[in-house]
Amino acid sequence: MSFFSSIRQKAPFLERIAESFTPTMSRDEKFRLQYKLPDDEHIIDDTNTDITFTTPYGTNHKDKRRKDENGNQLAYVFSGKLFLTPHFLVFRDAFDQSSCVMILNISTIKRVERSPSLSYAFALLVTLYSGTQILIQFIGLRNRSEQFCEKLKDMLKHNIPNAKRLPMFIESCYSNFLIEKNILRKTDIVAPKAGLGQHFKYPGQPDITKEKAKLRLWFEYFKENGENLAIIQNHTFQKLVRIGVPSRMRGEIWELCSGSMYLRFSHPGEYQKLLDDNRDKTSQAIDEIEKDLKRSLPEYSAYQTPEGIQRLRNVLTAYSWMNPDVGYCQAMNIVCAGLLIYMSEEQAFWCLSNLCDIYAPGYYSKTMYGTLLDQRVFESFVEDKMPVLNDYIVEHDIQLSVISLPWFLSLFYTSMPLEYAVRIMDIFFMNGPKTLFQVALAVLKVNGDDILQADDDGMFIAIVKHYFQTLHESAHPDSPDLKYRQITKFQELLVTAFKEFSVITEDMIIHERNKYKKTIFENIETFVKKTQMRRMPKTFNLSDKELSNIYDVFYQSIETHKISLGTGSSNMTFDVFLQFMGKFCDWAKPSKNDDDPVFKKQKQTFLKKLFNNWDSSKVGELTVNDVVLGLDKMVTPDLLEAMNYFFSLYDDDKDGQLQKDGVLQMSEGLLLLTTPWKTGKFVDLLTKKAIEDDIADEIVKETSIDQQASGSIELPSGVTIDEEKYKAQQSERYLKAASNFLQRCFEYAEPLQIDRQVDLLDLSDDNDDKPDEAKEARKKKFATIVANAALDPTRPTAIDLATFRMVILADETYELFFSTTLRDSIHLEEGANDSGNNQVLKSMFDGIIADGRRVAERVRRRVDSVATNKSRADSIETNTNESIHTTDTNSKMIDLDDFTTDHLEEHEELLNNSWEDMDDSAEQNARQERKIEPMSPSASEKQKDLIEFEA
Amino acid sequence: MSNPITSIKLVLLGEAAVGKSSIVLRFVSNDFSENKEPTIGAAFLTQRVNINDHTVKFEIWDTAGQERFASLAPMYYRNAQAALVVYDVTKPQSFIKARHWVKELHEQASKNIIIALVGNKIDILEDNENERKVAREEAEKLAEEEGLLFFETSAKTGTNISEVFLGIGEKIPLKGLEDEHNNNGLNVTEDQRINLANTANASENASACSC
Repeated sequence: MSFFSSIRQKAPFLERIAESFTPTMSRDEKFRLQYKLPDDEHIIDDTNTDITFTTPYGTNHKDKRRKDENGNQLAYVFSGKLFLTPHFLVFRDAFDQSSCVMILNISTIKRVERSPSLSYAFALLVTLYSGTQILIQFIGLRNRSEQFCEKLKDMLKHNIPNAKRLPMFIESCYSNFLIEKNILRKTDIVAPKAGLGQHFKYPGQPDITKEKAKLRLWFEYFKENGENLAIIQNHTFQKLVRIGVPSRMRGEIWELCSGSMYLRFSHPGEYQKLLDDNRDKTSQAIDEIEKDLKRSLPEYSAYQTPEGIQRLRNVLTAYSWMNPDVGYCQAMNIVCAGLLIYMSEEQAFWCLSNLCDIYAPGYYSKTMYGTLLDQRVFESFVEDKMPVLNDYIVEHDIQLSVISLPWFLSLFYTSMPLEYAVRIMDIFFMNGPKTLFQVALAVLKVNGDDILQADDDGMFIAIVKHYFQTLHESAHPDSPDLKYRQITKFQELLVTAFKEFSVITEDMIIHERNKYKKTIFENIETFVKKTQMRRMPKTFNLSDKELSNIYDVFYQSIETHKISLGTGSSNMTFDVFLQFMGKFCDWAKPSKNDDDPVFKKQKQTFLKKLFNNWDSSKVGELTVNDVVLGLDKMVTPDLLEAMNYFFSLYDDDKDGQLQKDGVLQMSEGLLLLTTPWKTGKFVDLLTKKAIEDDIADEIVKETSIDQQASGSIELPSGVTIDEEKYKAQQSERYLKAASNFLQRCFEYAEPLQIDRQVDLLDLSDDNDDKPDEAKEARKKKFATIVANAALDPTRPTAIDLATFRMVILADETYELFFSTTLRDSIHLEEGANDSGNNQVLKSMFDGIIADGRRVAERVRRRVDSVATNKSRADSIETNTNESIHTTDTNSKMIDLDDFTTDHLEEHEELLNNSWEDMDDSAEQNARQERKIEPMSPSASEKQKDLIEFEA
Repeated sequence: MSNPITSIKLVLLGEAAVGKSSIVLRFVSNDFSENKEPTIGAAFLTQRVNINDHTVKFEIWDTAGQERFASLAPMYYRNAQAALVVYDVTKPQSFIKARHWVKELHEQASKNIIIALVGNKIDILEDNENERKVAREEAEKLAEEEGLLFFETSAKTGTNISEVFLGIGEKIPLKGLEDEHNNNGLNVTEDQRINLANTANASENASACSC
């Protein structure tokens, strides 16, 4: 069931990601994406300001920029725009974004006061918990500034609960530890919970002094620019990240850059709760995770210990519960293992979450659409930036994604040694997805000369593999210049990636993704369909076209399921099933009858029966395979099978017998199924034939024999058909069939103890002059039968399958219903475009008239019979014989609905009772007889066999 | 060229963690590793073996097993002349997946692809035959119906691993024979590819060949 088995509702953010591929990204979305803010942030207000940022720890005296020529301290004033969101103040420099971006969580604010300002109309002095002071000087109209302040005040109030959690959260940040230890000189302080590297050492062989120096640089940075939830990011920040974040600091910088720190702060305890709530539960994702736990960065020692494996298990399973649409995808284990070396479980969890949503959108989804899409985007970049290489690759039939796909999917973790992969990750989290493209392009570029020697995928892979294994080696081993010689291949790669390919921007990536999205999604849908169709169970009565259509309508109906994204449950609930069947089946189509509660209940009851019968796994949901198997059974061309299947629907305990209740339910079901014919919405074959006969009669009357003999029969344009008459007749016939059905069921039920209730047989004896009243009376009588049968305890209680079949075969309408009408009412080749939904009787008649061939055949027969018979009544009998003759000699003319044989003696005997009661005009009587005559040979033969067999 | 080389592109398919990579590792390096990283996308390895005076070079594509990677598989089995469809004899679900793969290969892959059905991890059965969840007969039946080679193997102990590859090697028309019959277009292309590999100026030859 794997591919589509998630039964949970889709997570809204995947939708958002899909939308983020579209060019129309809202201002808020862009804003969130740019500053990696959580989903619930939006811009409440913005204003132009100058800000000054002063930390309490004094300034770095080595930094000459911060002093004027007299040695007085100067503070930088940044001019730019200040944005207010529900939980953040974001400032960005107006001229150079990278020179100053301040992201300040409002809960870090301790005090806000008005500040006297000489040069500005209005200024606020914001004091943070850390002691840092920010002077915000407003530019612009005073009342606009006041407005902004009011809103800020509101947000401050809203953030009071968060502010209370702040001290505890800050303690979990390594930056805070650095400051407390080195500035406040606290001695009893311990480092916050961190990644596995804390105990199992960090990968690579770090140069201790270098690490310490780097840590010190960060410490100095924080001192000046703030840290964690209130920090300014500037050029120095980017430089510090580019030279490689020191291992101890890495976790925090990753979560800061990726914005997952904000998620962790705004969702306290949620990670633990996910784990607790889902403890001991299982899922397919859980099974898949278990398989891979021991196979995640096995070269790192912690992942050979229970502790390391448990942490990995916790984070991966928690993620699979939070986002069941993604669940678990191989490669996530490796990426997550990479995170957990530097991050605590909770940090890694939120970081993984943002990584899957923003950094690698759709990469790990069920269809991996993001991976496929970005491979296509990458190919287009190679085409554009390295045309020579691209030509070579194309010429040698080398498939680029065969090589590059693992780079993107596992973020280089499986390609490069760990110590280098994490360096890529440093930049990846800071600069976003473009990093992957830049590095991948650089790998090709650096190895270009070698690749141009490769003849096939294999050699290509070998070249790149060798390159990744020798990243620590000198890029220029033969250079006479020592300094030049010291540059490693890895350094060379970074320079190539981030200098030469800095032309690759986030906007370009979004643009390219939009370009190829449609094709990729279509390919996925085709592939998924192909796969599913291949795995469909064997069917007997459905064509490939019908199967394909069922598949399409099935997934169209489940609106929450996106095939290409692989999100949402692919199973069908009962509500959706109702709509689904409405698209295929005449009797399940939405109609005005649905307003009638009784009808609605009948419909629901019957469809629920079908639903439960088809639900193979008994989970209250249907898979596409369930539906295919069910429909296959319903459209069987075999009368016997059709009856058996219908009976089995009601035989809940499978004992081959139906109790009173079962019979009543069954009759309700039949009433429902036959509604479209009963109400005259459609005509069945019997009525059709009657109409055609009548048209033929009229033509015969109106056309001269000479004309007919010449063979050119023109359909009269002005033939009028009394629709109401046929409607009424058909309706009559169906109602009668229903009442006969019930009556006979109870009559033949075992054991036979029937008091013949003659009056109940005469159901239609009084419908001559007041049809409406008669109908009412019939309904009442019908109800009486039902009531009597249901209430009388002495009544026989069960009918078996054989009796059921006999009862059905005893009525031509119901027999026809199971042999053709029901099957014809299920239109498996349409439905996708909902055609025929409001088909009215008129159009059916039009269809008949339009089908001139059939009418012409009738006319020919009439002509023959008129020629030999004077009276019209006589002609009917003879006509039957004549038509047999015609059929024999002209078999090409046989139509499916052309019932021309007459072997129904037994049948008629059974029917005698009911026909006796017909007291219509002679003409109608005659037609009724005609209707009995036409039975398809196959059906009548089967019926004979059946009766003999069961006797 | 006294010892002609036939190159065989072979792809491994099968559910996650049935031991595809381990089979390759055993065949290529005669090694086994308990906790192998899952294959992301696909891994590529080569191995040469001698079969009846011929050198056969296996170009092995080892694919990721997880279901969602299935959409990537066509990328790897295109042009493949042979496929190992691997399942775990202790996991019935993996056998169902194997059936799916066989069906897909027959529909989508090269027409005359040689497929071997491989039930791996039989070493587990040595201690306890009850662990077996896929009957040998059932697999044999599938193999017969679909015209597959069939082996039960253990990558851990090495049982039957080389037999799988030798079995495939024997089924593929070899270079020498082909020179006589020269009937299989696909293999001709493959041979040209190898000749190119041995030629210094590859691209020139390639363009010459395509004429």
